[in-house]
Amino acid sequence: MTASVATQPATATASGGPPVTTLATRVRDRAQATPKQVAMRQKDFGIWQEVTWASYWDTVLTVGHALLALGIEPGDRVAIHSENRREWLFTDVATVAVRAATVGLYPTNPAPEVQYLLSHSGAKVLVVEDQEQLDKALAVLDECPDLQRIVYVDPKGIRNRYDHPALLSWDQFLAIGAEHRAANPGAVEQRMAEATPDDIATLIYTSGTTGRPKGAMLSIANVEFAIEVLVERGGFTGRPPNPSDLVLSYLPLCHVVERAFSVWFNAGGGVQVNFAESIATVQTNLREVQPTILFGVPRIWERILASVQIGLRNASLFKRANAKLWLKVADRIGDTLVRTGGNHTVGTRILYGIGWLFFYRALRERIGMRRVRHAASGAAPIAPEVLRFFMGIGVPMHEAYGMTENAAIATTNRPGRVKLGTVGEPHEGVELRIDEETGEILTRHPGVFRGYFRDPEATARVLTPDGWLHTGDIGEWVDGTHVRITDRAKDIIITSGGKNIAPSEIENALKASPYIKEAIVIGDRRPYLVALIGIELETVGDWATRRGIAYTTYRDLSEQPEVIALVQRIVDEVNARFARVSNVRKFRMLPKELDHEDGELTATQKVKRSAIAKLFADLVEDMYSGREGGAGA
Amino acid sequence: MSTMVRGRPLLYTSYEAEMALLNTRTKRVWLGVLLIIGAALPFLLTDATLQTFARAMITAVGVIGLGLLTGYAGQVSLGHAFFIGLGAYTAAVLGGDPEGRRLGFGITELLIWLPAAGLVAALAGLLVAPLAVRLRGLYLAIVTLGLVFVGGHIFNEWRDATGGPGIGRSMPAPTLFGYELGVNGELFTRDQKLYWLMFAVLVVFALAARNIARSRVGRAFTAIRDRDVAAGVMGVNLARYKATAFAISSFYAGCCGALLYVVPGFLAPNGVFNLEVSVLFIAMLLIGGVGTISGAILGAFFITFLPTATRLIPDAFPFISASPTEFPNVFILEQVLYGALVIIFLIFEPRGLFGIWLRLRNYWKTWPFSY
Repeated sequence: MTASVATQPATATASGGPPVTTLATRVRDRAQATPKQVAMRQKDFGIWQEVTWASYWDTVLTVGHALLALGIEPGDRVAIHSENRREWLFTDVATVAVRAATVGLYPTNPAPEVQYLLSHSGAKVLVVEDQEQLDKALAVLDECPDLQRIVYVDPKGIRNRYDHPALLSWDQFLAIGAEHRAANPGAVEQRMAEATPDDIATLIYTSGTTGRPKGAMLSIANVEFAIEVLVERGGFTGRPPNPSDLVLSYLPLCHVVERAFSVWFNAGGGVQVNFAESIATVQTNLREVQPTILFGVPRIWERILASVQIGLRNASLFKRANAKLWLKVADRIGDTLVRTGGNHTVGTRILYGIGWLFFYRALRERIGMRRVRHAASGAAPIAPEVLRFFMGIGVPMHEAYGMTENAAIATTNRPGRVKLGTVGEPHEGVELRIDEETGEILTRHPGVFRGYFRDPEATARVLTPDGWLHTGDIGEWVDGTHVRITDRAKDIIITSGGKNIAPSEIENALKASPYIKEAIVIGDRRPYLVALIGIELETVGDWATRRGIAYTTYRDLSEQPEVIALVQRIVDEVNARFARVSNVRKFRMLPKELDHEDGELTATQKVKRSAIAKLFADLVEDMYSGREGGAGA
Repeated sequence: MSTMVRGRPLLYTSYEAEMALLNTRTKRVWLGVLLIIGAALPFLLTDATLQTFARAMITAVGVIGLGLLTGYAGQVSLGHAFFIGLGAYTAAVLGGDPEGRRLGFGITELLIWLPAAGLVAALAGLLVAPLAVRLRGLYLAIVTLGLVFVGGHIFNEWRDATGGPGIGRSMPAPTLFGYELGVNGELFTRDQKLYWLMFAVLVVFALAARNIARSRVGRAFTAIRDRDVAAGVMGVNLARYKATAFAISSFYAGCCGALLYVVPGFLAPNGVFNLEVSVLFIAMLLIGGVGTISGAILGAFFITFLPTATRLIPDAFPFISASPTEFPNVFILEQVLYGALVIIFLIFEPRGLFGIWLRLRNYWKTWPFSY
């Protein structure tokens, strides 16, 4: 196959206006300008296989033709159910090229959710990664009347075993595309030229901590605004992301943040995308790739911090002493950076320079952050202690805020103007106000979504007629420039004493301990606050082993009296920092690790409070039934 | 498309880059530094010390060869002395004076008699190889031991070629493209020139061995070493690769033998290619580190310089005599040391001197963690 790069330049749209820039035209233009540069890498059989821009665009064209051959019309939906990999981006960009909308499914989505997402979105074509995802789709195929074809990428376990008329292998899919391309040259380019800013580029289903997932429609104009803010104006990074930057793509691509960092940064800024092998190998892959821009959800940062702490604790005597010294220095540097908004002073620069030789350089190399020039945390609240640790060891850490409904564009801490505990300042060109009565944050800008797919009622609830988006987050201004988020509006606890309490603050303070993985504070319409606490198996296991505490399972470890005493100490420490009404009076240990498949977490690993309250109702009631004091199961 | 991404040593984008002979910058830098030091030594050391260095380097070639067979392919051989002797006499015969009392063809060109010596030994190795396909471990060791006795007999009795015990014959003076390496010149002494010759030979043979070890052949060797039945099941042709291992190893031994007696310039067949030599080579390999090229070189240098070091002992401990007729003397001590070193290394540091280096390196490599 030869790379026929843009055989037909987009001259004019059907409506006669100027050609619309889309993800597809951006990839095409990069393939023309820098055909031999690396667009993405994927690790196969131990080697990072590279995809150049020319071959990226060539494959996109073939996939686009294949979609045309399968009868995809403008406005149709194409679903992708896969971990992050090349084919995800090929399909996504090709779908935009043929003016259809991409629907991403989380790899962890169980079959009933797959059924809901496929039937609600009305996807015509589904691209699945492997047998696991294919089985889910086949199980619910009868309830998805619009679904016509399923393309599987990895044929392992499928080839020669499955016989279903709707099935196509990726190779067959490409062959159909190549055939169509030979017969109708320029058909995809022609379809691209007809694109309008109002075309829906993607449906992003919000994870839904409360009800069914809702499909937020992001138009081409929304995505282009996000690229303009984040990529062209360097909204996050200061210096705009460019082809010399590398990112590691490891969070689900169906989430708006990973889409921004992987797809939008890639097509918009030419950033090289490296696909992690899986979420379990992130730390290894980080070491190999050494990305320059790194986004993580709080859980990732907490996990890296915990692994650093365990590693250092298990180091030999001299190394331990060295680490102790420089961590203490890092603490001081972190404190100063917090005060100065992330700007080094002469003193911290000298201290850091010495520490760089003895500790920080090696440490950052080991955790894969040696070359990180911009690190960001978002998607959920994070404990400031965690951010300060990373700032102290020299990783420029910034907390940002945004949501699916505003294409991830709201506020961010800018380099050099960081205020810890806030989510930063509104991006340029973004209107943000805080409702005086309810304290709710509202945003208005061209990136605000077009509404929920097939759900005008829900749309009307969050989108005012004059374009303001109700984020559902309660916040306040700090110093008139930065925004601090208190909590999700629906999560605010009002105790029976009438006090308003934001549980996430207490939860994050608890989760800042390396021993605690989950903390759910409960107390709405109750006399006092209680908490359900899940331990971090790795760190607590290590802790128990050192003390010779024998255990078998997660539950067994959780119920060890020593472990409960350990958690009690952490709870007491946290309580000391909060007002009396915000104190957690009692807690119980969660008997299992929370899981998406069991309906306790959303696909993005957020806790479903209502589900937890129901599932562990007996534990909660137990804490409120007169029995005094004590913790544990 | 670049095969490496700058500043990211772990990001391999092709198997070629990952498998490369010198796959990290550290290795490239260290090789460069060692080459420069090695090439500069003749300007810094006395001729007597250079002779010891030359012997250590050419011994290292033989140990590398044994390492390929025993360390990589796992075939224990006690017959290494035989192949070394074969190489030595092939070189002597090819380079010998055609007018002299002994058999000689007068080919003094190094580039002809050195490979020829290797090839003759390799052929002999190929003849022995079928045994290795049938035998394993101790049995193979015993059979190869037989070679040493057969070889000893031939070397003693074939007087036309070897001069016979007590008489011997001279070794050829090497010439390279007509340039005399074996005589004192205007610019450089004989020992300086021979040092550089041995240094160049060692570098070429060591890099070649590393290249073999990293390639398909090397991986097949390792598979056979770890479990030959499993390797066979995986599709490694046992007969072919065991024969290859013997041939390559013997080639190295032959080349080692051809040059080993060039520095003294004379070779008599009494007791030079016997079991003791075979065992000594195995000792060097064990002390240096089995299964690594650097270890083989380290071991050869260590054992070659050991006598030089033990000769200093009588100065420090007067009760140990420097004369072979008194007791205790340094020669006895030397023998004891060989034995003790092998035992100590096998028990406490099975990976040899190289293992000590590995431990040091890993300490810093894992910094600031311990694993």
